[in-house]
Amino acid sequence: MRYILRKFGLLLLTLWAAVTLNYALPRLMPGSPADAAVAKLSQNGPVAPSTRAAIEAQLGVPTGSWWHQYTQYLDNVVHLRFGVSYTFFPQSVSSMVGQALPWTLVMVGLVTVLAFVVGSLIGVAAAWRRGTWLDSLPTLSGAFLAAFPYFWTALLLVFFVGYVFGWFPTSGAYSADAVPNLSFGFVGDSLYHAVLPALTILITSLGGWILGMRNTMIGTIGEDYVTFAEANGLRGRTVALRYAARNALLPNLTGFGMALGGVVGGSLLVEQVFNYPGVGHLLYSAVTNHDYPLMQALFLMITVCVLVANFIVDVLYGVLDPRTRR
Amino acid sequence: MKCMRIQCRRRRQEPVPLPSRGASTERIKLTMTRASGRRLRAAAAFGAATILVATGCSVSVKSGTSNVGPTTLLVGGADSGTPALFKNFNPFSPNKRNLTTWMYEPLEVVNNLNSAETPFLATGYTQPNAETVDFTIRQGVKWSDGKPFTPADVAFTFDLLRAHPALDVNGDWQHIRSLSVSGDHVVFHLKSADVPAAKVIEQTLIVPEHTWRDVKDPVTYTNPDPVVTGPYTLDHFTPNQYTLAKNEKYWQADKVAVQKIVVPGSSSDLAIATQGYDWAYSFFPNVDNTWVKADKQHNSYWFPPGGIVGLLPNLTKAPFDNLDFREGLSLGLDRQQIADKAEQGYVKAASQTGLLLPNEKSSLNPSIPDQGMVSQNTTAAYAHFAKAGYTRKGGKLVDRAGKPLTVTLTTPDGWADWLQGAQEIIEQLRGLGITVKLDKPQPASYQQDLQNGDFDLALGTVGGSGSLFQDYNNLLNSDFKKPVGKSTASNYQRYGDPATDALLDKLKTTSDPTEQRQLTDQLQNVVYQQLPVLSLFYGGLWGLSSDKKFTGWPSQKNPYASLMTWGSTPLLVMTHLRLAK
Repeated sequence: MRYILRKFGLLLLTLWAAVTLNYALPRLMPGSPADAAVAKLSQNGPVAPSTRAAIEAQLGVPTGSWWHQYTQYLDNVVHLRFGVSYTFFPQSVSSMVGQALPWTLVMVGLVTVLAFVVGSLIGVAAAWRRGTWLDSLPTLSGAFLAAFPYFWTALLLVFFVGYVFGWFPTSGAYSADAVPNLSFGFVGDSLYHAVLPALTILITSLGGWILGMRNTMIGTIGEDYVTFAEANGLRGRTVALRYAARNALLPNLTGFGMALGGVVGGSLLVEQVFNYPGVGHLLYSAVTNHDYPLMQALFLMITVCVLVANFIVDVLYGVLDPRTRR
Repeated sequence: MKCMRIQCRRRRQEPVPLPSRGASTERIKLTMTRASGRRLRAAAAFGAATILVATGCSVSVKSGTSNVGPTTLLVGGADSGTPALFKNFNPFSPNKRNLTTWMYEPLEVVNNLNSAETPFLATGYTQPNAETVDFTIRQGVKWSDGKPFTPADVAFTFDLLRAHPALDVNGDWQHIRSLSVSGDHVVFHLKSADVPAAKVIEQTLIVPEHTWRDVKDPVTYTNPDPVVTGPYTLDHFTPNQYTLAKNEKYWQADKVAVQKIVVPGSSSDLAIATQGYDWAYSFFPNVDNTWVKADKQHNSYWFPPGGIVGLLPNLTKAPFDNLDFREGLSLGLDRQQIADKAEQGYVKAASQTGLLLPNEKSSLNPSIPDQGMVSQNTTAAYAHFAKAGYTRKGGKLVDRAGKPLTVTLTTPDGWADWLQGAQEIIEQLRGLGITVKLDKPQPASYQQDLQNGDFDLALGTVGGSGSLFQDYNNLLNSDFKKPVGKSTASNYQRYGDPATDALLDKLKTTSDPTEQRQLTDQLQNVVYQQLPVLSLFYGGLWGLSSDKKFTGWPSQKNPYASLMTWGSTPLLVMTHLRLAK
């Protein structure tokens, strides 16, 4: 119990630090939201003085001392009030995040789980049959694919699968004339649109899980209890999965917890390439437009999720491995 | 496949808070290529597009934009939904859907290419004296819900803008003192003698009193069901695209041939080239081999100048405060080469008069040689540098103490075409013996640097507002000359000269065309001789059109509008297009 409390205290402290950093960082960027807006306008010709005044009035760009703004910000965070987005004015930040989050959670989330499960299984098989083609093929191709940058894989898929063969749509999360709802047709449409972005993430993240699992697994296979199980005449699959893999999974599980925490951050490059309306895409818009309220809400969401995922993994470890409790 | 999401154009990728888009004359898209993180993607896509188009490889492309019939116009690069389109048809909102301006009409539409005015909701105006503008309001116009449009709607709109300065993106009430309605006239009483104000006021979009009267907060109002006077009404809206349908009650419905307009929330260059777009606004690299080659018979482009990209010298700093030094710089640059490097040979070097040629050729001061084009002459440049105290020593330009000259050139990061231009400038200045450091802050930070006067030399845009007074006033008026460190909204180079101010004041108050002409001639002399900005090249308006389904597009031969897809000039285009036979 004391172990959990200590970890929880640490969680609160990191949260406060993260929230404060989150306040400070966007403000350290040179230029204000109004400057960003005027800069864009100035590409269209000189901006009349009245326009800047109107922009500031519309956006309600924050004024007052930094201390005043900071306490106001803390108060808003505690009450989950995130205000109105500058970029998408007059949309509220909550509604923007609410619209982007499901796309990311479902697409990136499912793919992360899938990549972990499939990758770990392949890793187990590779380690168990090490030295055969079942080992060298996934290990080599895994290492090869993991070295691919996301956006490059995405581009290749867009060009060949999407454009040359025309099998899958290359942009958006659903058809141009579709309205989001929970009908069978719409879900099918959005799954169809999710194929290429999902495939991109799967291809590039699978390798890591395969290699990680294979390497720890090979260590575990050398342990005495595995030899003992084999000597007892247990079936190969039972030994591989229930004895060796179960123990080898621990470090990979940590990585998985972290990856799940990071899911809410979306996958910026993939979402950009495929114009997928997820959190990563939203974050990019927020940053380029100096949209403080949106940026803060998104960063906060991401930090909290990563911290909470860390906390859960910490607690799980305490349960699974008594040595860490001390 | 629908829209290949490969774009390097800022405009379509990011929702841009553009409060004055469409509301003002000054919105001319000068520059487009913005690589940012997407450069690779864009490069690959263009490679792909070029390969496909060049090899004539026929790819069966499933069109994701349905409902495209023979009377339907598909327009690309006109709006962007990142990550989705939001329903916002408030004509005064910074994030309105861009085609809001195809539905609401102003009193008159100004063609920013040549300042020509076309009456819409007004039939014309008079200026009985320099402090009064009297608009005659058109009769027989109906709102799309069937209610009659009246001068009271005009008065209501301007009162709305007065009550909510956040909506007044044109700055109308910086000019207006009060207004009155009598019969079918709306009379504006101005704060001072202010002839150019008419051109500002007339471009304000007019909204219906009967639907806007009860809006609680017009600043955050998103106007989901726009009631309009214009040629189109909102037809169907989804988060990825929206469609407009012809307004059958439109007062010049007989001039409108296009029955429906489809506006996708994203349209990549690949999609534009391959999916039967009728009209698009996009900077295509190698346009002859991409857009034109995709359908040689029908596809064409027209890139008229929409503004001037120039080199702003910080006049508060030495040596830029020295006219001889600026002369040296001006004569030392090969402008056409900079233009070619930056804009792929699509645009011409700019005239040093501050005018956009050939659009504004009729306003040229005939006494300025060669239409104000300055050609490179390094011998003359060194003579001027010498007068300013800089001589060549060992290939370097050194001051009187023998110290080599080093200057900084500021340009926003990510604006790829400007960066290319900047590289060329640096090369040329290095050739003259000047060491140039390139400073490329983020756009917001660049803007702040300009406003605060925190630069040596900076790339910036001037001109092209559709009003010569506005152009020269923004460039030269000493009201904008704030000390370095204090933010100003225009005249970033901080030029100030009482004689020039007097010219501007006179131009503001006279409605006599002969006197106006004399004054603009003199202002051209000021820009030509004093070099408050070194005009480099014209920023193009990157319009693409296809006459497969519709004819009557604006062109160099018939420049009744540009192919800009934002602002009010599309009203001119949509009332000119005819069905192709």
